[in-house]
Amino acid sequence: MALLKLAVRNLRRNRRRTAITLAAMVIGITGMTALRGFINGQRETMVENVVRGRIGALQVHHKGYVQNVLTSPLQLDMADTPELRKKLADTPHVIAVSPRIEFGAMVSTPDKQPPPEDGSMLPEADQGKTSFFIATAVEPENEAKVTPRRTNLVKVGHMPASPEAPELVLNADFALGLDAKLHEAGAPLPPIEQQLALLAGDRDGALNGENVVLGGTFPSFSPGDKRVGLVPLVIAQRVLRMEGRVTEYGIAVDALSEVDGVKDALQAKLGPDYEVHTWSELFPFIKSLNGTQDFIFSIISAVFLAVVLLGILNAMLMTVLERTREIGTMLAVGMRRRQIIRLFMLEGAVIGTAGVMLGLAVGLALVTWFNHHGIPLPAPGATVDSIVRPYVTSRFIAGIFAGTPLGAALATLWPAWRASRLRPVEALATA
Amino acid sequence: MSHLLDLKGIEKHYELGKTTVTALRGVDLQVERGEFTVVTGPSGSGKTTLLNIIGCLDRASKGSYVLDGVDVSERDFDDLAEVRNQKIGFIFQSFNLIPVLDVAENIEFPCAVRKNPEDAKKLRARVNALAKRVGLEPYLRHKPDELSGGQRQRVAIARALITEPRLVLADEPTANLDSTTSEAIIDLMLELNKEQGVTFLFSTHDPRVVKHAKRALQIQDGKIHDGAGH
Ligand SMILES: Nc1ncnc2c1ncn2[C@@H]1O[C@H](COP(=O)(O)OP(=O)(O)OP(=O)(O)O)[C@@H](O)[C@H]1O
Ligand SMILES: [Mg+2]
Repeated sequence: MALLKLAVRNLRRNRRRTAITLAAMVIGITGMTALRGFINGQRETMVENVVRGRIGALQVHHKGYVQNVLTSPLQLDMADTPELRKKLADTPHVIAVSPRIEFGAMVSTPDKQPPPEDGSMLPEADQGKTSFFIATAVEPENEAKVTPRRTNLVKVGHMPASPEAPELVLNADFALGLDAKLHEAGAPLPPIEQQLALLAGDRDGALNGENVVLGGTFPSFSPGDKRVGLVPLVIAQRVLRMEGRVTEYGIAVDALSEVDGVKDALQAKLGPDYEVHTWSELFPFIKSLNGTQDFIFSIISAVFLAVVLLGILNAMLMTVLERTREIGTMLAVGMRRRQIIRLFMLEGAVIGTAGVMLGLAVGLALVTWFNHHGIPLPAPGATVDSIVRPYVTSRFIAGIFAGTPLGAALATLWPAWRASRLRPVEALATA
Repeated sequence: MSHLLDLKGIEKHYELGKTTVTALRGVDLQVERGEFTVVTGPSGSGKTTLLNIIGCLDRASKGSYVLDGVDVSERDFDDLAEVRNQKIGFIFQSFNLIPVLDVAENIEFPCAVRKNPEDAKKLRARVNALAKRVGLEPYLRHKPDELSGGQRQRVAIARALITEPRLVLADEPTANLDSTTSEAIIDLMLELNKEQGVTFLFSTHDPRVVKHAKRALQIQDGKIHDGAGH
């Protein structure tokens, strides 16, 4: 207790040095907290974009589907029965089920003019275009519950009115490239030759088509999602000759932390003919991205920490140097070496505690402010802003809180040891 | 009963690169309990070296040293810390108070850092009594830099006495003080020696101080000549 009093007073004695050491700590800890908060927030946004914007929290497929997904295996499909949907929906934490067919399709735009009478070719600019895209056939109402972020982003035009409505929703950049005209909701359908054609090969390889219009567009909000579109489920089933069948169920849950339990529950219910995957299994790159971010963060933290601790080390070395005579006096009147070490380490710990409290106060205030206000920021490759809301976990706070004073005390270990090794005669002889 | 201090054949050599400086060349010295002794001698004669060895701040290169019946020449550093804390009080030429502690805290410091410190209230009562005795009562809450040199040395005297030591060592305690203040400090030490029977051993250059001493030792070229005191 007497040592603590001494430690605190000694820190107050050289106010400027203490203030500079503290400032370095506050800057370091604030920076670390803010950076961690931002990384966490961005990570959550990215997961949100994937889960609520593209795939759902979980997906159910026919066994072997995911392994063969690149060939869009329509053979690995499932009968879409009310019983199956009920089975999925009646699982704890499941809040919505969206039946889907994922398939490769083509969309053709009409020629802008009728062909010339003389049988010559239309100028290129007036010719219709045909392009490949990845189509996801959905029931608009159910899909809106599983991937609301995507359906909410259909700001130009609208989602298909029903599973039977002959309306496509395409990525806005893709639609622009196709030069496809938007169809006003409720307006009468244009004549057939001015409609789009949706073409796809069925399971037997036969090419079928349906006439559709462009109902709406959604912007890109995550990387690599440009040649994509939503197709009403019944329309797709007609083209693919898969009436009453689907290849996928997208599943929404009430809390993402529950996905692993939900996965096990679903798999147990469905049996070995089906497979269940969580979002992180379907998008493993997120995990590796997180790993990379964490690695970079720990390097940056290590640098911050080293700078801060070197600052403390330097300050304490100077202190020991200045107080050599005083240390000599303390040794002369019978203070033991261990007590000298303890005194200086206590000074390190006290400044560490003060620094961590100030640094966390500033850092958390910053993180909280930005959490409330949100940082509008497009995800990489996206054209719409995602609102990043930084946050830090209580584990992070606890780690910083415990680690900093400890680190500060450790940084003091060497100066303290040097102080304790001083020989009293020589220490007393210094000016 | 044995002598309080019993030094035999004490030598001290300093290795300075290839040359060896000899500060003490065979000092024999006995000091009895309750003595008031000064050591005088020209600059560089070895006064500080001798007092440091007696104070267990430094070790002799050669010779034996028994303090209060304990052979201290073989003790390790932390043992010596305890000997210094319990048996010896130090008064330094430049006071060496701890600047962040006030007068009362400085006085109690040697007792406060003990492994098993005594009850804080009792300690404070002793501090107050001692402060009163050395004339510091109004200054208990003052920091050293708010005191005059004489007052600072009084704090140092009180700090040296708080542990009720067998021996108080003072290396030129008046060298940084004017003559009036020096006299007062010497008088105070003499009184304490008389009242409390504390053994004082101090060094000085000041011939006026020497005349008060009961026993005066001359040190010259690292050897002691016992002169008569007054
Ligand atoms: N640490 C040291 N290293 C080398 N030589 C030393 C050391 N300390 C003292 N000496 C030498 O030992 C001798 C005695 O020094 P000491 O300090 O004991 O003298 P002193 O009588 O106290 O002198 P003063 O009156 O000036 O204080 C001197 O020659 C000095 O140079
Ligand atoms: Mg000297």
